[in-house]
Amino acid sequence: MKEVRVLIVDDSKISYMMLTKMLEKTNFKACDYAKNSKEAIEKYQIHKPDIITMDMNLPDGDGIETSRHILKLDPNAKIIMISAMKDVSLMLKGRAAGIRSFLQKPVDPNEFIDTLSLLYQNEINMRTILEESYSKPLVKIFQRELFKLSGLQGKMMLEETIDTDFDVNGTGIILGLTGNPSGRIVIYATDTTMIEFARLVLNLDDDDDLSEEAAQDAFEEAANILMGNYVSKLNDVFKNNEIRLAPPGIITGTKIRVLNTKLKSFKITAKTRIGDLEMSIGFAGRQDEWM
Amino acid sequence: MDVKFVNPFINAITTVLPQLGFITITRGKLSTREKAMPSLGVTVLVGFTKSVRGNVAYNMTKESACKIASTMMMGMPIVDFDEMAQSAISELSNMLTANVATNLASMDFEVDISTPSLTLGDGFSVKISDMPYLVIEMNIDGNLIEINMDLH
Repeated sequence: MKEVRVLIVDDSKISYMMLTKMLEKTNFKACDYAKNSKEAIEKYQIHKPDIITMDMNLPDGDGIETSRHILKLDPNAKIIMISAMKDVSLMLKGRAAGIRSFLQKPVDPNEFIDTLSLLYQNEINMRTILEESYSKPLVKIFQRELFKLSGLQGKMMLEETIDTDFDVNGTGIILGLTGNPSGRIVIYATDTTMIEFARLVLNLDDDDDLSEEAAQDAFEEAANILMGNYVSKLNDVFKNNEIRLAPPGIITGTKIRVLNTKLKSFKITAKTRIGDLEMSIGFAGRQDEWM
Repeated sequence: MDVKFVNPFINAITTVLPQLGFITITRGKLSTREKAMPSLGVTVLVGFTKSVRGNVAYNMTKESACKIASTMMMGMPIVDFDEMAQSAISELSNMLTANVATNLASMDFEVDISTPSLTLGDGFSVKISDMPYLVIEMNIDGNLIEINMDLH
């Protein structure tokens, strides 16, 4: 098994020794020890460890501030906060700063190893799994259902959009996903594109009237069909994940900001002759236990 | 629309919010709504599946969202609805809805909840149902949270 290097930041040498002891007989190895904020930043740059454990109280600064520094140097740094207190405000601050997990002192050895394993594996596996097994099949289903519903040929694009918020201008259909992983999907288009799309779905002639509300209903129904197909496909592949789709919600307006905070998300665009139909799919993963 | 789902929400709010430092929590009016609702500025949607299906939309102004986030952060002043405030409101919606799910479980409804979708803007509208649905107003230390719910 590959060795995973851990940098331990703690002003107490005893804590460091205890944590190092816990890592014995695992594939995690303490690569170094930093006793204050300044050393933590220096040693992070020297070792580029896979994971950092960060004590909350350091003699020359606090753990959150130090984490911010490190995350500025490397936004992908994986930091576990270890503190004597477990209070919500601290966690929210830590989470906003980009700290991935929280542990309370005294650290339980099993919980420590589990947290390290989850954090490390999540990083390598989750992204690949989400892209290969969750997002790429969706691109195909999106393209196929788009054609079946409207006859439109979509030129498809997939991009990863971690922590990138986006704006809906027009109409967006929001569908919650429950199970493992939980998440949410937003399918959106400008009103012009949505209305054209609805006319195709409903097979209307040029002189048939279509109200904006009826167009929205058709758009919503199409989104529901598309995602229903996707979810049943996922459940065929992952039999125990119990993925389910919540009923749709609709947002309408201009410049509606939809936040992607803390979600692993992907954007899928179908470029068609009537304009772009866009989709954002975001997964929360399984790291919600730390609250 | 089913009034038996009102109490699980009120219980969730009166249980969770005092733990986060909120003091005065009162229930305002209960009404019904049809079609789309105007967003007050910040609207968080959470979906329900399994034996109770539907959506809930927590609706509030940006000012209220900032004040609520500030209380959650031990009174840290928050003027802009920035990333930290967004994260706090997302977390709040998550905690409340998870508590609702627990309350529903004690009524023998097995439910699962989705990740919250936080939407933000001026003058947009949100529709959670084609049918009439319930709106509960809650006053949290002088800040209004409107809970729009369509569960069945």
